[in-house]
Amino acid sequence: MEAALAMLWELLANPIVQSSALPLAAGLACAALLYPLRLEGLAAIAGFLAAVFAIGNFGFEPLSATRKIVLTGAAAAVIGALSDFAFKPTRFSAPLLGAIFGVAALWVFATVLRQKTPLDAALIGAGVVALTVWLVSATVSLQLDAARSGAAGLMLGLGTGFSAVLGASALIGQYGMALGAACGGFLVLLLALGPRVGAGHALTLTVSVLSALLAAASVLLAQVPAVALVALALVPVAARLPLPGTPLWMQPVLAGVYTAVPAAGACALVWLQSRGWAI
Amino acid sequence: MKRFTLGALALALPIAVTAAPETYTIDPVHSFPHFAIDHLGVATIWGRFDKMGGKFTIDRAAKQGTLELAVETASVSTGDSDKGARPRSRDDHLRSADFFNVAEFPRMTYQATEVTFNGDSPTEVAGRLTLLGVTRPVTLKIGRWVCKDHPFSKKPMCGGEASAVLRRTDFGMKYGVPAVGDEIRIVVGFEAYRE
Repeated sequence: MEAALAMLWELLANPIVQSSALPLAAGLACAALLYPLRLEGLAAIAGFLAAVFAIGNFGFEPLSATRKIVLTGAAAAVIGALSDFAFKPTRFSAPLLGAIFGVAALWVFATVLRQKTPLDAALIGAGVVALTVWLVSATVSLQLDAARSGAAGLMLGLGTGFSAVLGASALIGQYGMALGAACGGFLVLLLALGPRVGAGHALTLTVSVLSALLAAASVLLAQVPAVALVALALVPVAARLPLPGTPLWMQPVLAGVYTAVPAAGACALVWLQSRGWAI
Repeated sequence: MKRFTLGALALALPIAVTAAPETYTIDPVHSFPHFAIDHLGVATIWGRFDKMGGKFTIDRAAKQGTLELAVETASVSTGDSDKGARPRSRDDHLRSADFFNVAEFPRMTYQATEVTFNGDSPTEVAGRLTLLGVTRPVTLKIGRWVCKDHPFSKKPMCGGEASAVLRRTDFGMKYGVPAVGDEIRIVVGFEAYRE
């Protein structure tokens, strides 16, 4: 028993397991367990928090930007799940949630902005808010289409994660990859059960808030160039591309291929910048 | 009588001057905090911060002193600043949110008001280190302490070496433990000139 536990802890200490297999399994388990309650969209936050726990960053002192991201992501999941039950989605709900979390993004990065000159802080703050409002609005409006939502979440997470690793932050990278892997768990359930599985605000709000904040953090706290964020912002647009005559089981795969293009583009931009390209 | 008093005062003046608290300013060109940390349980990685400033006061008669240090965390250097074929170097990684988070916490500071003496020399400084926005008590042991005039400029100076051991997780720096060790040994080599 002790040997098995030791092996388990050793596995959980492996960064690759922390940011791939663990969040994938946690996301799938959460989605499957909560599916009867129509809360399968909480797969994203379940997988993400499992990774945060394994990485050992569950402390909240100091309340740094990366720790505020974890808290804001958890709040997004709760608000998302509540709004799934309480409200019918309207055309205003996505921009409204985007605006709310745009303001939250300023709180997340307040300590970073305080180090800048007033002009730089205003410009950077506006950029962070714009990115958050856009990603939340564009991703939350996919909420009625589980295949597109899941694929967007998968590639937003992986794109943010790999970009951050190339940009010198393994922590933000692991967080991003874990988010993508958790959405992978959601997609596995979708492939298994078909169109009865729904993403809702619980998944789309969590994924968009976390990926926007992690992407911004990878620019502000590591060395990802801001232009990579433009490519990441195209992920929810790519998720809208048509899936004509595609069988249901193929839809997440095809949407995943579409969304992989801008996500890979973001990683390529970070790589090129690290090689000395002026971008 | 008046002449005698003035004479006595004049004689006592040099003693009073040497007994007064002296203030020294750290010479940033010859003062660096070094650190050592375990890597993968097999080796020790050494690094240092290239930019440190501060000052200390010392009152040998009253056996008192103060110390203030400020270190720019972005100046961290472990001898791996050239990324070569890799996307980033180790020093880039150390500056990111994973470790020193320099964009959010650009400065680490140390402030002390309790100094223990052995004769005229300070041997221990009890103070508070603020790293990543977290303040914890840290005691510096002074292993070497020399005061004399600079051999060329003749300016009064003191220098030496202070060391401490701390756990980075106490300051919320948790990433990579235990592969990158928790315990950090710090050795500060310093020179300072009297104001």
